[in-house]
Amino acid sequence: MNSFWNGKRRFVALLMFLAGVFVALEVPPVIPFIQLPGEKFPEGFDIPFTGIRWTNTMVGSVIVWVVLLLFVVYVSRRRPKDGNEAPPGGFYYLFEVLFEGLMGFVGGIAGGRHFRVIFNMFMTIFLVVLMANWMELVPGVDTIGFIHPHVKEKYDAEKDEYKLVTTDGYEIYQGFLGISYVNGQCNWISPADEAAADEAALASADAARLAAMDEQAVKAAYARYQAAHNGHGDEHAAETTAEADEASAAYDEVLAARVAEKQARADRGCHTGVATAPWQDGYEPYDKTKAKGISLHPDPSSEEAKLVPWVVLPFVRVPSTDLNMTLTIALISFVMIQYIGFKALGIGYLTKFFNFGTLFKSPLGGIDVAVGLLELIGDFAKILSFSFRLLGNIFAGSILLFVMSFLIPILPWPFFILEFFVGVIQALVFALLTAIFMNLATISHHHDDDHDHDEAH
Amino acid sequence: MDPQSTIILGKAIGAGLAMIGAAGGGIGIGLAVGGAVQAMGRNPDHTPTIQTNMILGVAFAEAVAIYALVVSLIILFVLS
Repeated sequence: MNSFWNGKRRFVALLMFLAGVFVALEVPPVIPFIQLPGEKFPEGFDIPFTGIRWTNTMVGSVIVWVVLLLFVVYVSRRRPKDGNEAPPGGFYYLFEVLFEGLMGFVGGIAGGRHFRVIFNMFMTIFLVVLMANWMELVPGVDTIGFIHPHVKEKYDAEKDEYKLVTTDGYEIYQGFLGISYVNGQCNWISPADEAAADEAALASADAARLAAMDEQAVKAAYARYQAAHNGHGDEHAAETTAEADEASAAYDEVLAARVAEKQARADRGCHTGVATAPWQDGYEPYDKTKAKGISLHPDPSSEEAKLVPWVVLPFVRVPSTDLNMTLTIALISFVMIQYIGFKALGIGYLTKFFNFGTLFKSPLGGIDVAVGLLELIGDFAKILSFSFRLLGNIFAGSILLFVMSFLIPILPWPFFILEFFVGVIQALVFALLTAIFMNLATISHHHDDDHDHDEAH
Repeated sequence: MDPQSTIILGKAIGAGLAMIGAAGGGIGIGLAVGGAVQAMGRNPDHTPTIQTNMILGVAFAEAVAIYALVVSLIILFVLS
């Protein structure tokens, strides 16, 4: 490894850095529109024979399974048939190191009669969660996808009609290589909001003019005007004009701020909802009937596209950022914990939860019952804590990567390294806790010989 | 203030308040790791055992902070 990076090959790092600079300049980074549930694909992307629409986290899980399957096929083909054969080398060694290391690790924690079941469960969960977590480091995940308009159909009960509701989003442009990009510099503002802002600017400009030339000042000016007409010099007339100028300057100043705001938006290449403002010539108020005619999927290059906000719907999203995936693995782990409990202790496993045996025998029997019920609740709480721990960590991690890629688009590497380790630790914690709880379930509540058997190892 | 701004204000304050819960997790993790490092310093031979138990303890303490995080994420991104 060291020899690879010595000498001339260091230019690879420089090239990557330059590519980062180029891409950051050519395609300005965007803060993605963050959604907690997995995003549904557009119509027509159903899972065959089910009628269920694909979500991008489902695509992520399918990729995880396919990668793991290939991994299994590779390793089982490369495995030496007997000890005398030469080791195949390469990637296979990595697997052996991982396998043997973790086998010793789990053996130290749960090395008992049920070691094989526990270790199978541990390794499966570890590999699945690890692959799922590491997906957030792959370029293109969470960033490449359908560009789709962020509009929803909403039923208006009062008028008994459906209308399109627009929410947050960005404008789009056709850029580098003719691909449509979401424009991170232009938050989408609805034409109606834009028109309302124009009207508000006009109203506040009027208010400013009135403030500069309030009623008393008008009266005084009129008096001076009268006096001037009655023959005493032109000085007062000049004063009146100055006052009127001041009022109109105040009016212009407020409007200029709004004009500058619109100009700044236009300079960044963004649309403004209405081409002109009410105080300019050729003012066209926004036509509300237009909004009803917008199709849910307009052509990105059409004029209609300017009337709706756009967001990216990634093809692939990290599966562990979807509660469905984490909850599923948590349920599997919960079921396996109960299964191995029953397998090891038989029906007696239930005395862990419903411990009425000592109720009338010992003075503290009531406490045993309460402790058993607490254990029952605690077992169900495991589902919650397993699923939320993984979801929270990985979802927060991917938001961290989004934000850091937005703030420092050319140097977000340290955070990718951080997320690399978070992915390993979370996978390890998930699998390890499952192994430990499974081991605990096999140990009898009463200190009988089964317990001693486990201790012996 | 218009209703939209009020909603955003409420969401931001709510999410911020929810994250106070993370303080407990932070204290817990600090105590656990501090104790583990001391133990490892005094007893380097038992490092693997201590490390395993430390990671477990940290995971449990962290879970509580993560609940707070999930609540605040739900407030921010799911409520509308």
